[in-house]
Amino acid sequence: MLRIQEHPILGSTEERRLVTFTLDGRELTGYEGEPIAAALKAAGVMVHRYTAKQHKPRGIFCAIGRCTDCVMIVDGTPNVRTCITPLREGMRVQTQYGVSAQPYQEIRRCNKNGEI
Amino acid sequence: MERYDLVVVGAGPSGLSAAIEAAKCGLTVVVFDENSRPGGQLFKQIHKFFGSKEHNAKIRGFRIGENLLKEASACGVKVILNATVIGLFRQREVTVRIGNEIVHVKGDAILIATGASENMVPFPGWTLPGVIGAGAAQTMMNLHHIKPGKRILMLGTGNVGLVVSYQLLQAGCELAALVDAAPRVGGYGVHAAKVARCSVPFYLSHTIVRAEGEEFVTGVVIAEVDHSFKPIPGTEKHFEVDTICLAVGLSPMSQLCKMAGCEMTQAPTGYAPVCDKTGQTSLPGVYVAGDVSGIEEASSAMIEGRIAGAAVAERLGFLGAAERDERLKQYEAALSSLRKGMFAPENRGKAPKKTEEGLPISMNLLQKGYMDEAELEAYPGMIHMPGLHPVIECTQNIPCNPCQDACPRGCIKIGADLTALPSVDVSKSCSGCGMCVASCSGQAIFLVNEDVGEGFAEVTMPYEFLPLPRPGERGMALDRSGTPVCPCEVVSLRSAPAFDQTNLLTIRVPAQMAGRARQYRVGGAV
Repeated sequence: MLRIQEHPILGSTEERRLVTFTLDGRELTGYEGEPIAAALKAAGVMVHRYTAKQHKPRGIFCAIGRCTDCVMIVDGTPNVRTCITPLREGMRVQTQYGVSAQPYQEIRRCNKNGEI
Repeated sequence: MERYDLVVVGAGPSGLSAAIEAAKCGLTVVVFDENSRPGGQLFKQIHKFFGSKEHNAKIRGFRIGENLLKEASACGVKVILNATVIGLFRQREVTVRIGNEIVHVKGDAILIATGASENMVPFPGWTLPGVIGAGAAQTMMNLHHIKPGKRILMLGTGNVGLVVSYQLLQAGCELAALVDAAPRVGGYGVHAAKVARCSVPFYLSHTIVRAEGEEFVTGVVIAEVDHSFKPIPGTEKHFEVDTICLAVGLSPMSQLCKMAGCEMTQAPTGYAPVCDKTGQTSLPGVYVAGDVSGIEEASSAMIEGRIAGAAVAERLGFLGAAERDERLKQYEAALSSLRKGMFAPENRGKAPKKTEEGLPISMNLLQKGYMDEAELEAYPGMIHMPGLHPVIECTQNIPCNPCQDACPRGCIKIGADLTALPSVDVSKSCSGCGMCVASCSGQAIFLVNEDVGEGFAEVTMPYEFLPLPRPGERGMALDRSGTPVCPCEVVSLRSAPAFDQTNLLTIRVPAQMAGRARQYRVGGAV
């Protein structure tokens, strides 16, 4: 469990509304208003995207919206910085491959079959 | 186009302080910040700050942030959030991106207080998810209440690395090791000591060879380095961790200054604009304050902000020159007292062998993060006497003196020089109130009664972890290295508003452990 319920200095975390959202179609829960990345982290999600050229995984790095490592596709928009974008009920979050939501292995398979 | 007397870029400690100072002189001030919350990095700082009363010493960073925000709103400072300043042009025209719009504003003066960004160090696997900045760890745990990982390795023993390591422990994470390529701990010894006594091993002269894992971090390999910082084959050590935290320094976020045409310089404190002592850059009316003008810390950033605010107010005719000089004199005195001691900017990269008092600096402290009991005996805060008394394990000249003010009986002396080592006046008697223990930002003060009868001693220590031990509970006493030395019994746990979340834990140990028992671990029978 990565959520801190009780902290020696900060006390208990204030009550927030639990909302559901999806990651690649899978239903997850998180707290409204927390960064999408925080909800994903709490759900054990490490990989936010794969790079365009070398298809390497990336996740949270700076957590303050500077490095853009954690960008994902949110409600259809790619390159959304999940570490500073507040979570809302029903958000559709997708792992980003380059700038697409289509996994590379699917793209490769499509290319091989001659259909895109 | 809207016009303001002063446009401030960045609502961190220096930006807000400047805005407050200027607004109090009657200027109309707007502060833009790209984040959704103001305060810069202050709200992630849950430790007590160093310095003296005028520097907000012994107050936790986030409370200083809350006070700054209150003060800013009380004097009419307008703070616009989610607003990224993307350009600074001739005649002090500023372009700000707010949402999908670009807004133009004009300032009779501009203060750039954009702070700093974290440095990074590449190694094989450094791009894997699970490798994060120390700032990211703080953001996750202290703002969003999420542990950055379960088991973590920290690279960097500067104050950021040490403070964040301790905060990771407070958040309930396990710390596998603290690693630094330098041969010496870079941050305050007291910060190192509080991490070391929680059983975290220090690996100085070591660096990360590679992060392991395919999709995310599953482990890390470190190795000892030679004098040219090259890993020595055969010295590799492996740790199973899910997170690697990087705390390898900060750089001024001075891009806006450079873009605007400020004359820049490469100083030991980073690539920053050239400025005078009020923060005035080479561009008339464009000022800088805080980390963007050279890396220091939040306390000095706030004073630099005040200085720049007063200078701007005088420049625009809101403050007389005499009044400005009066304020600058006061602020500069506060600033120079913070810039003294072993960690002063001019001592960066140097390794003093002796304290100002001529005492030898402990190499154990610098290499392992803790001192031997015997080494401590030379220091003026380390005393032995019958009955209850404080023991102060503060052995470096750092600008800090809350302990002196904390003692109602005047047992503790530092004197006028903020960086002098604290000493204990054995002619005064200790009431056992514990205010010195709670007020020491470095958690370096203990109350010791070397003989409470029947061959036992009692040690009172600052305790900032959960769960809180209960009186009568039995656990293990750890020494300064975090090694269990004996079973112990909890005598009392005191909490009070004046202690500000620092609990005072008193444990009973065999008398011969009075000088060694410095940490408590729940459970763990021998």
